Amino acid sequence: MNNGGGANTHPDNEHASTNKPADDGFGLAVARVAVAQICESVGFGGSRGSTLDSLADIAVRYIRDIGMASRFYSNLAGRCQCNVFDIIRTLEDLGNFQGFSCASAVRNCIAGSGTMKDIMEHVEMAEEIPFAHTLPWFPIARERRPIPSFDRLGEIPPGNHIPSWLPALPDPHTYKRTLVWNERKPDPRAEKLEQVKQRRKAERALLNLQQRMAIYGQGGASASSYVPNVDVKGTQFMVKEGSVKFAPPLQMGEEDVSVLNVPDVLADRLTTENHGSIMEAFVSAIDAMRDQFSDDANEDEVGRSKVLPDRRHSVRFKFKMSKKVLGHSLDLDIRNRIIGKHFSVIEREEERDDKKRRAACILKQSMENPEELTQL
Amino acid sequence: MNYNQSHQQQPQQSGEGRHDDDAAVTEFLASLLEYTPTIPDELVEHYLGKSGFQCPDVRLIRLVAVATQKFVAEVASDALQHCKARQASIVKDKGNKQQKDKRLILTMDDLSKALREYGVNVKHQEYYVDSPSTGLDPTTREE
Repeated sequence: MNNGGGANTHPDNEHASTNKPADDGFGLAVARVAVAQICESVGFGGSRGSTLDSLADIAVRYIRDIGMASRFYSNLAGRCQCNVFDIIRTLEDLGNFQGFSCASAVRNCIAGSGTMKDIMEHVEMAEEIPFAHTLPWFPIARERRPIPSFDRLGEIPPGNHIPSWLPALPDPHTYKRTLVWNERKPDPRAEKLEQVKQRRKAERALLNLQQRMAIYGQGGASASSYVPNVDVKGTQFMVKEGSVKFAPPLQMGEEDVSVLNVPDVLADRLTTENHGSIMEAFVSAIDAMRDQFSDDANEDEVGRSKVLPDRRHSVRFKFKMSKKVLGHSLDLDIRNRIIGKHFSVIEREEERDDKKRRAACILKQSMENPEELTQL
Repeated sequence: MNYNQSHQQQPQQSGEGRHDDDAAVTEFLASLLEYTPTIPDELVEHYLGKSGFQCPDVRLIRLVAVATQKFVAEVASDALQHCKARQASIVKDKGNKQQKDKRLILTMDDLSKALREYGVNVKHQEYYVDSPSTGLDPTTREE
């Protein structure tokens, strides 16, 4: 029946009690533990949670009752501090329900009351069970920082009627709207320099990209290694032609390209101009796109990708580094293609020349521009 | 003279009695310093402070703690008696087939019965109000 453990084990609870947050929660919790230990020492194996709570509450009330009654007795005797006799009288009062030995006897000394004897007997008989946990001194008093006085702050109180040892008045910004000072000094020159520097960085990045594109165009077969997800068809195509400047990747879900017949026009250009400039790469890209979309218009007759496999549509360059832009940008032209204008084969060649010219102009600009930039 | 002598003797005896009582209490309070009650000193002092009890002496705090511990122990032992009595009645009904070796659980019924003798009325809230035995004395109900 008895638990084997001593003070360290607590009786298990059949019911999990809901902890209601109270102002006195900590004290009640501690009392709960102490009462549980006492129950365990008496012989109980366990207890219901609510029952334990009730018993703890009753124990706390008992302590408070002792305190109140002792204070009453000490005040009655004209003292403010209690002594042992006050407590003994209190215990006699509270124990009146059951009675204590020699209650009716007339005593000259209260120290001989039965209550004390009972308590002494209890202390001797019961085993000593110290509390299971160590407790801090509670409640913990929070330190409050008082508002400093006028003297402490070195302020002069506004008005003769306010003595200087009183707490200082609050700052005006706490109750009034005051001006907000901009701490940072405006420096237009530094700001402009910063802006120009950032623009230069952006332009340099663009240039690097262009150069890399040029390398792709130049590389040919070697460039294909840089291009991701190249289809088998692409590699075959490369091997066949040998001097292809541009090795575009196939898009996912691409149809089977059975025969890749490079039109003569394109093949000529590719073979003649071997030192691939960026221009060539762009022009071929534009051509391929245009062909593709025109083929889309006549889908039934011609295959989907006649000339070259699909290219990435996302490559778009805007040559707008300086304000002067000669002619249309390539971007616009590509967009026009997407809308779906038809071009006859004859017109294609002329426009191809136009595009070539335009691309050359714009590229020249971009080459010149870095020089301008350095001059900045 | 005889009267005077007898008169003188009585105060001496009572004086000795007083002295004994005083000595006993003093001794007891001194022994309390070594004894650690189950209810911690911090808790007792907190609640005594709340009710206005002022005393810097640790022995008195321990005295109050011991008194409270005695009170709670008495209530718990009374509840234990009630619990055992109930279990004994059950065993008697069913015969001595099973020995109730289970752990004894402190329930609200036992506690309220024990506290009634101390003048504390504790009543547990019923869970179901619609049964006919609601509000009746638990002993009259079937277990």
